[in-house]
Amino acid sequence: MNDPFPQLARRISKLIQSFRSGHSRPDPKGFEALAADIFAAQFEHNPAYQTWCKARGVTPDQHPASHQFPAVPTALFKETLFTSIPPEKRIAEFRSSGTTSQQPSRHVHSTDSLALYRESALAHFEQHFLPDLEELVETGLHEPEDKPTFISLTPSPGVAPHSSLARMLGDIFSAHGHPDSVFVGRIGRDAGWEIDFPRLDEAFIHAQCTLRPVFLLGTAFNVVHLIDRLVDEDRVHHLMEGSRLMETGGYKGRSRELSRPDLHGEAHLFLGLAPSGIVTEYGMSELSSQGYDRVAKPLSKGQYVPPIFTFPPWARATVVSPETGLEVADGERGLLRVVDLANLWSVSAIQTADEAIRRGNRFEWIGRATQSEPRGCSRMSL
Amino acid sequence: MNAHPNLFLADLGSDLQLTPATVRDACLTIRRNRDAWLARLRTRQIAEIIAYTAEQWLEPDNGFRARLLHESPNTLGIGPATVARGLDAFFRQLTVENLEGLVTQDLGDAKRLDDFSSGVVEIRHGRSALARGPALLGHLTAGNLPVPALHSMVLGLLVRSAQFLKCASGSSLAPRLFAHSLAQTEPRIASSLEIAEWSRDSSDLDAAFFSEVDCLTATGSDEMLAEVRSRVPVRTRFLGYGHRVSFAFVSGEMLSTYSTRRLIRDLASDVTAWNQLGCLSPHVIYVQDDGALSPEGVAEQLAAELARRETEDPRGPIPLADANAILARRAVYQMRAAVAHQSTERLRIETAFRDLPSGVRIWESPDSTAWTVVYDADPRFELSCLNRFIYVKGIRQFSELLSFAEPVRRHVSTVAIAAVDSRAIEIARDLARWGVPRVCPVGRMQEPPFPWRHDGRPALGDLIEWTDYETA
Repeated sequence: MNDPFPQLARRISKLIQSFRSGHSRPDPKGFEALAADIFAAQFEHNPAYQTWCKARGVTPDQHPASHQFPAVPTALFKETLFTSIPPEKRIAEFRSSGTTSQQPSRHVHSTDSLALYRESALAHFEQHFLPDLEELVETGLHEPEDKPTFISLTPSPGVAPHSSLARMLGDIFSAHGHPDSVFVGRIGRDAGWEIDFPRLDEAFIHAQCTLRPVFLLGTAFNVVHLIDRLVDEDRVHHLMEGSRLMETGGYKGRSRELSRPDLHGEAHLFLGLAPSGIVTEYGMSELSSQGYDRVAKPLSKGQYVPPIFTFPPWARATVVSPETGLEVADGERGLLRVVDLANLWSVSAIQTADEAIRRGNRFEWIGRATQSEPRGCSRMSL
Repeated sequence: MNAHPNLFLADLGSDLQLTPATVRDACLTIRRNRDAWLARLRTRQIAEIIAYTAEQWLEPDNGFRARLLHESPNTLGIGPATVARGLDAFFRQLTVENLEGLVTQDLGDAKRLDDFSSGVVEIRHGRSALARGPALLGHLTAGNLPVPALHSMVLGLLVRSAQFLKCASGSSLAPRLFAHSLAQTEPRIASSLEIAEWSRDSSDLDAAFFSEVDCLTATGSDEMLAEVRSRVPVRTRFLGYGHRVSFAFVSGEMLSTYSTRRLIRDLASDVTAWNQLGCLSPHVIYVQDDGALSPEGVAEQLAAELARRETEDPRGPIPLADANAILARRAVYQMRAAVAHQSTERLRIETAFRDLPSGVRIWESPDSTAWTVVYDADPRFELSCLNRFIYVKGIRQFSELLSFAEPVRRHVSTVAIAAVDSRAIEIARDLARWGVPRVCPVGRMQEPPFPWRHDGRPALGDLIEWTDYETA
């Protein structure tokens, strides 16, 4: 059987490279052409997806547009493996995190798919979190040869091999990190993530001594754990000017839950982070591209920008009605659906369970659309 | 409340900043007013006020009814046709005869609350007894279904209690409308009623409320009930109603061509009533597989009937999270159904299915989440995600059913059965021994008779205390 994926991967790479070079222009036709070829390949080589598409009555010979690809709800990844990668080529598996004892979602990877994952993740991350490295040099915060000092509050990819987030951060460290960059997270006794505070203190102090800004990374609950610790010890830790934070992933019941303005307010108060330097990432184990709500500009005292998420040009996020499956009107609420071309060996069209408000071609992220409050007295958990 | 005076705290809307002192004052006021008037009424007088008010609610152009139906899509998340059907089923039963009948059923005599009276045994021993309701009865109402709260209010009135309803935020509309309608019938009644809303975080308001009432009823999850119970003073009576689940059983002999049409209609009524959100709504319909129509055939016909119902009694819009739950659940069964059908694919797809699915089919409303029927050959009990999402499962014989439903045994409220009479009584006996509090015919799951024993307890009898009078 002829393997279409290497050639498709090269076409996606080209898109990513032109984005990186800053020469990419919106090209809906090019996106659709590539998406159609990818859909055909996924239909052909991914047996679970073929079954799903046939059940939804959509096949490549109907030439569906990308918004018509049968999107696979994330819930389905818990019991079915959607992949074109043969078992002998699988070298990694990303799993969804969660608090329940349920089956996690599974997303298997090969050497090739991890390379594409890395390329996709780095390109969009650089644009949103590292746009001002030259400015740091100009203002004397970095030496010309300096690389960013990352401190990740998560465990390292070696410690958390099934975390797509840890993998991405590992890729970021190896591509851009100063040798002082460090992962200070670990797996706690309850199997959840926690911060190794002595290591974090050490990393903070080292950054302070070298007078370099800190590039802090972690989940939202990691950040709350850090703030709670500072509150307990009745201290603040103001990071150097130019420092910034990327937080992601919600709370999953692992800490106090704060609204984003509150979280950013506390990060400002306790860590001295400028609100313009705090970026929220939207990612999940089922995807290979990520969304960001703003570009980090900690040195600018710019105006408040509402958190509106964008995906890179090789992924398209839409907000759809759960009733009709069609895109909602601008300003309306619905469920987020992503067609991520970098999800080449899995499934590109993913239906998330996240509630969002459409803002043009971008979206405002509300949160996971789960039934928190039972509506009827008949709803119970066993 | 537009066009009506502000009688209750909840009428004042969110502008009102409630304090523990306000709650305590309100409790004292209704307690005093109750002593001055409501406590002196006789059961017949109260029953007449309630029955007259209920008749008004049954009028299609009644203002209170119209208002509730108009706002039901927004406040209840349920379409007006569905709400109208549920309200009619409830208010039709509020007759003087039924109200007095409940007192007789639970207390032995319709006049037990009026004066000392005696049953046969008591007469023999020269005794009599008077039943008294709590002076101040508190209710913690839950969820958005209006009828349970209204039912509680009626019981409280029958036992002459001043009543304070604490509603979850945004869910006081139906109790308020009912209270206003009672006040329209008899203005003095409002002086013994209070309705307020506050959020779950306001524990200081809860504490003031719990310390004032003599008896507290609460509806909610087991966790919520445990939490409330731990905060109620030890001398205050606590009646907790936990979440319950229900299911239906159809025996094979009912599946003749002759009776199937009606049966399917009844099953559809049970699924659509209150959009399946009540404790009495079915999660699963078990169908015996030796009938003229197979369980899968029942599922298919039920789907066609639900599609028909959608045109005359549409489910209406639901919260995004509810719709998302339906989408996710549908996807799982669509995939299982597809895998079950493509035997050649089964070997190529890697799944974490407990067993490779066999015999799964799904029918669903096109372009909406309005209704879903899943036929699943796996007979294990499954909780539905509700909003008209029903499982149909085949079963060889009734005796198997109880073992498959064992995980929910202690949570079952109602089991509806379709069987010939001689079989039905045997099944009912088995269900009773197994611990089911209510067995009813299919089609009537959400329409319990007014005097029904809620969760197997005498609802009115549980509220009252007795004074025994022993003569010399």
